[in-house]
Amino acid sequence: MNTELTASVNSNPIQIGKILVVSFIVTVLLATGLGFVHLKNKQFAIGDQIRQTERKIRQVQAENEVLLAKVTELTSRPALQARVKSGYIAVVNITGDKVARLTPPVQAADVGTLRTAFNDVGRP
Amino acid sequence: MKFTANTRIVIACGIAASIFTLFSARLIDLHVAKHEEYAEMAARKHNTCQIIHAKRGMILDRNGEILASNLPVRTIVADASRMKKPEILADLVAEHLSLDAKEVLEKFSTGKKYIVLKREVPEEQAVDLFSDMQKHNLRGLFSEQDAVRTYPNGEILGHVLGFLNHEGKPVQGVELSMNSQLAGRDGYRFIQCDRTGREIVLYRGVEKEPENGKNVRLTIDMGLQTIVEEELDAAFKDLKPETANAVLVDPKTGAILAMASRPCFNPNEPGKAQPEQMKNRTILDMVEPGSTFKIVVASGALNEGKVDVKTSIFCENGRFSYGGRILKDHHGYGNMDVHEILVKSSNIGSAKMAMMMGGDKFYEYVRRFGFGERLGVELPGEIPGLVHPPARWDKLTITRMPMGQSVAVTPLQITMAMSVIANGGHLMAPRIIDSIETDKGEVTFKKKPTVMREVVPEKTAKFVADALIGVTQPGGTATFARVNGFQVAGKTGTAQKVSPHGGYAAGKYVVSFVGFLPAENPQFVLLVMVDDAKIASSLNYGGLVAAPIFSKIAERAARHLDLTPTTPPIPLQPVPIASNSNPDERDN
Repeated sequence: MNTELTASVNSNPIQIGKILVVSFIVTVLLATGLGFVHLKNKQFAIGDQIRQTERKIRQVQAENEVLLAKVTELTSRPALQARVKSGYIAVVNITGDKVARLTPPVQAADVGTLRTAFNDVGRP
Repeated sequence: MKFTANTRIVIACGIAASIFTLFSARLIDLHVAKHEEYAEMAARKHNTCQIIHAKRGMILDRNGEILASNLPVRTIVADASRMKKPEILADLVAEHLSLDAKEVLEKFSTGKKYIVLKREVPEEQAVDLFSDMQKHNLRGLFSEQDAVRTYPNGEILGHVLGFLNHEGKPVQGVELSMNSQLAGRDGYRFIQCDRTGREIVLYRGVEKEPENGKNVRLTIDMGLQTIVEEELDAAFKDLKPETANAVLVDPKTGAILAMASRPCFNPNEPGKAQPEQMKNRTILDMVEPGSTFKIVVASGALNEGKVDVKTSIFCENGRFSYGGRILKDHHGYGNMDVHEILVKSSNIGSAKMAMMMGGDKFYEYVRRFGFGERLGVELPGEIPGLVHPPARWDKLTITRMPMGQSVAVTPLQITMAMSVIANGGHLMAPRIIDSIETDKGEVTFKKKPTVMREVVPEKTAKFVADALIGVTQPGGTATFARVNGFQVAGKTGTAQKVSPHGGYAAGKYVVSFVGFLPAENPQFVLLVMVDDAKIASSLNYGGLVAAPIFSKIAERAARHLDLTPTTPPIPLQPVPIASNSNPDERDN
C-alpha cells in the first residue's frame, strides 16, 4: 500500500459545516435586514393611512360644524321671523279649548280683554 | 524601474488607505464638525411645528340657544419651493378661489415657502380645490384650519355679545370680558415632512392637544330679548330719538334678562358700523336720571326717620324759593305725604325731604343705592357715573339732586336701584354670566346671585313700592305704563338733556320709565329710556313716551314668563298724539 502518495496529496475539502454556518448567518442577517425594511415600509404605509384618516376625520368634523352653523342660522329668531313674514311658515294660535288642562283656568270677565297669559291660574 | 511585488502591494494599499482616509475625514467633517449646521438646515427644510387651533367656545342664552358659534373655514397657503407645475397650479387656484391667475403666478414666482393666497375660504370650496389638485397630480398648496365667528341672531344682543376683529381678537362685549374662558389654548405638534411637503407620521414629535374654549351661558333670555328689541325698534322708528335703551332684570337675583340699545350694529359685519352704533349705552352712557331718582330720597328720609308715612310736607303751592332760585313743580301742591310726593312726582317735596336728611346723609343713600360706582357687571367698559360728594356741592345741589339733576348715572344703575325697591331693600350685583361649561356641557363654574349691600329695610322698600303703584294708577304720572292683569309699580323720569357746551340743551329731553311687575311679587324690573324723541315738547315726558313702551314690553314679557294675572282686566287708554305746546316746567 502506497501510503506516501496519499499523504502528499494537497487536499482542499469542502467544509460543509462552516458553509452552513456562514449561510445561516447571512440568511439571518438578510432576513433581519429585509424584515426591518419591510416593517419600516409598513410603518410608513400605516403612518400614511393615519394621516389620511385624520384628514378625513377633520374634514367630517368641519363639515359637521358647517352644517351645525347653518342649522343655527336657519333656526335663529330673525330667520324664523323672516319666514313667518314671508308666509313660508305660520304661527297658529292654540285656542283654549284645544289645550288639555288639569284644572280649568279662571276666565276673564270680558271676552277678549285679558291679553296676558293665565296658564298658571288654578295650579297648586 | 522595476517594482517588486511587495512594493506594488504597498503602493496600492497606500493609495487605497489615502482614499479611505480622505472619505473618512469628509465623513467626520460632515457628521461631527458640521453636524449642527446640517441638522439645522435639515430641520428647517423638513421639521415644522404645526399649531393645532383650539375651538373657541360658544355663547349661549340661559336656555341654551346659541348666540355665537364658529363656522370652520380654511386659509389656503402656497409653498413655492415644492411646486412642480406652477402655471397649471396658478390657473387651478384662480379658478377655485376666484383670484387673478397672473397675480397668483407672480406670487408663486417669488419662491417663498409661505404665501397666503386667501383667507376664510369655505370648507367645501377648499375640499374641491384639493381634490382637483390630486387629480392633476399637483403639489405645493396646503391649508390651515381656521374659523369665523358667527352670530346667528344678527343685530339682536349685538352690544352684549361684542365681536372679534379680523385678527380674531375680541373687541367688546362678552367676547372680550370672557375671552380667557372662550379662547381655549392652542395645541401644537412637531412634524417632519417629505420632499413633497406631506407629513411623515412615523417621525411625529412632541404633541400637545389643544384645550378647546369653554361655552359661556348668559342670564339673557332670548325670548325676552327679542321682545325688548322689537319694541325698542318700533319706538326708535316712530319717535326717531338719538338713542334708546332698555334693561330687563330679575330683581331677586340681579340676573340681566334682556339688554338692548339703539342705534345698534350687526356683529357679523362690524366694519360697516359707526363707533356710535357700537356703544352699549346701558353701561357706557351717563345721563341725568330725572325723577326716577326720587326713590332714593324717599327711601333715605323714611329709613332715617326724618319722615314717616303720615308726615305732611308743604310743597309751597308749586314755587319754592331756595338759594336765590325758584324750584317749581308741574302743578301747585299744598301739603302732601311721602306717598303723594312720589305719585305726583313733586320736586319741591323731594327737595325738602333731602334737606331734612342733610347733604351727607342724602349722599350716603345715593351711594348705597349703587350710584357713583361700577356695579361690576361682566361687560367691559362699565362707567361709574358721576356723583359729587357734598364738599363739592353748591347751594342748589341739595334741592336739585333729589329730582335727578346734578348727578349722572348709567341706565343699568337706575335699573338696579329700582331692583332694591322691588326685592325688599337689597342691592344685587347685576350679572350677565350664568355659568361656564365645557364643550360637553359639564358646568365648571356657576355664578351665584350676590347681594352687594342691604340698602334699606324691607319695610321701607315695601312702602316706597306701594307708593310707586300709585304712579301708574289714575292720577299718577304713568298711567300708560299699566299692564292688563297686573299691578305695575314704577317711576317716570324726564330730564333736560345736558348740552356738551355746558348747561342744558333747549327742547331736548331724556325720558324714562323704570318699573316692576307684578308689584306684589316682582318678577322683573324694566327700564326704558328714550333720548331726545322727535315729538312735541308737550308730550316728551317719561309718562307719555317711555311708559307706553314699558307697557308693551312688560305685557309681552309677562306672557312669555307665563305670569299669573293678579288683577282684573282694565280698558287700555290710547296714547295721545303729539302736539306742539311747549311748557316751561317739567317735573315727572
